[in-house]
Amino acid sequence: MSTTEEQHPASILVIDDETQIQRLLTIALESEGYRVTLAATAEEGLAVAARQRHDLFIIDIGLPDTSGLSLLKRLREWTQAPVIFLTVHDAESEKIDALDSGADDYVTKPFNTGELLARVRATLRRANKGGVEEPVFRAGDLEVDLAKRKVACKGQPVRLTATEYVLLRLFVQHAGKVLTHRHILREVWGATHEEHTQYLRVYMGRLREKLEPEPAQQPLFITEPGVGYRLLQTKK
Amino acid sequence: MLAFGVFVGFSMLGELLMPWIGYQAISLVYLLSIALLALIAGRGAVLFGTFLTVLGWSYLFAPPRYSFQIAGFYDREMVAIYFLVALTVGQMTALLRARRNADQQLREAEINAKVLSESEKLGRTLLNSVSHELRTPLTGISGAASTLRCSGPLTLVQEQLATEIEYSALRLNQVVQGLLNAARLQSGQIRPRMDWCDFSDVVRVSLRNTQRWLEHHPVQNNVRRGLPLIKADFVLMEQAVTNLLLNAARHTPAGTLVIVNCRAEDESLFLEVADRGPGVAPAQIARLFDAFPRAPNSRHGGMGLGLPIVKGFVEAQGGSVAVTNVEGGGVAFCITFPVGIAPEVLEEVA
Repeated sequence: MSTTEEQHPASILVIDDETQIQRLLTIALESEGYRVTLAATAEEGLAVAARQRHDLFIIDIGLPDTSGLSLLKRLREWTQAPVIFLTVHDAESEKIDALDSGADDYVTKPFNTGELLARVRATLRRANKGGVEEPVFRAGDLEVDLAKRKVACKGQPVRLTATEYVLLRLFVQHAGKVLTHRHILREVWGATHEEHTQYLRVYMGRLREKLEPEPAQQPLFITEPGVGYRLLQTKK
Repeated sequence: MLAFGVFVGFSMLGELLMPWIGYQAISLVYLLSIALLALIAGRGAVLFGTFLTVLGWSYLFAPPRYSFQIAGFYDREMVAIYFLVALTVGQMTALLRARRNADQQLREAEINAKVLSESEKLGRTLLNSVSHELRTPLTGISGAASTLRCSGPLTLVQEQLATEIEYSALRLNQVVQGLLNAARLQSGQIRPRMDWCDFSDVVRVSLRNTQRWLEHHPVQNNVRRGLPLIKADFVLMEQAVTNLLLNAARHTPAGTLVIVNCRAEDESLFLEVADRGPGVAPAQIARLFDAFPRAPNSRHGGMGLGLPIVKGFVEAQGGSVAVTNVEGGGVAFCITFPVGIAPEVLEEVA
């Protein structure tokens, strides 16, 4: 964490009706120095969120009074603070809906707290960046210079086609964040191609071919089954 | 048969009425029989009945009686008109009946669909709540164990115990997942979301899922990039391949080589998960995909649900799965999908 964050620890609002999960998240998040507020229902969550400022929301997708998704939509009417969803396996369409409605990430239950904390850190870092982009991005063996439009892998320059570069740039601009299939197709190929997943599969294959020489290693582009892809983000 | 019975009955009625109403009016009695026949029988029977009555009238009643000849000119004309009217009445009645039946069937289908969707909804709600009730405490256990493990300096034993708790919770989660999948298959709630899939990616994700369980098994992944895209449900495929890998991990001794292969050949894509383990007894190999087929002396875990789920998921997407003993030892599971017509991808102008 940077020094400014240490002076003002990020405050996180957890909206989940299960006391067990509330306790677990409180312990895990507070051990990392975050301030945690709890709410058990969507109504309570909205009231608490309106009363005081929070840097991040963690919302269970299955709340008792209203769906986490409609809560997200109501929050997004007035705040852009990042949202992480807690969801379960087999809920791919829910995950897609949440991401397309402005959620920043999700964690699948049962989760490892290390994984959750990593997502929280990454999400807060992206939110705090405030649009100021670093011109050079590095992850694993990949180096992308957005200003000079240069891509290198293990120090060797890599030639990409125009579309491959646009696709890679989209990932770099959202490093660490899951991008849904539809989102990527819309941004790279346009709204008329939103359903043409074959483009995405073919071009992801080509990008991987050029940028992940050894597939057995930690992948650069992480497949989120049924949802989308995310670009690996390494800690600075 | 029905048409013949009606014909005989009405012929006898005509014979009885003959002294009072005259032979021409008998044709109207026959017409009535056709209308009644149309109410209870199909179009073929009505047509057959019409022919029978025309012949019967000319043979039995029209002079000269007991011959197919018809003497009077008006009588011959009447036969022609009778024939047309009987056909029309018969067809119209049959049509009316068919429409009424269709209406009824539609209503029944609507009621059935409603009952079905209600019970499906109930089933889904039940599954969702079971899933939630089981996973919430599992999240508590694995989350607490992982927090404990990272919470600061632990003795070696403490750290091992925390890892063991976390591992057990993950394993239990797999059991829950298996049961839920089996329940979904059983109640016909698998709705594949078919989309273009890159099977090399499916294999990669499945290997990532099973890394922890294949710790003691060397894995040889022969799947190359550039395979044809397949219309399938990525999530179901990933689950199927994951189950095959878990099966190999569970039912072969540590150190057994696991091999994943994928090749396109003759309009089909073959995805193979093989091991160099002891193989399966020929008597059991055919029953591997049945639910709960585990051999009584099998010492390894699992409930025998993994392979039936593989079969159910693969077949729900229009693929097939087969298993064979490999020459030289081990079993090979092979998933086959039709390649179909490759989707169009417009190339960029360089």
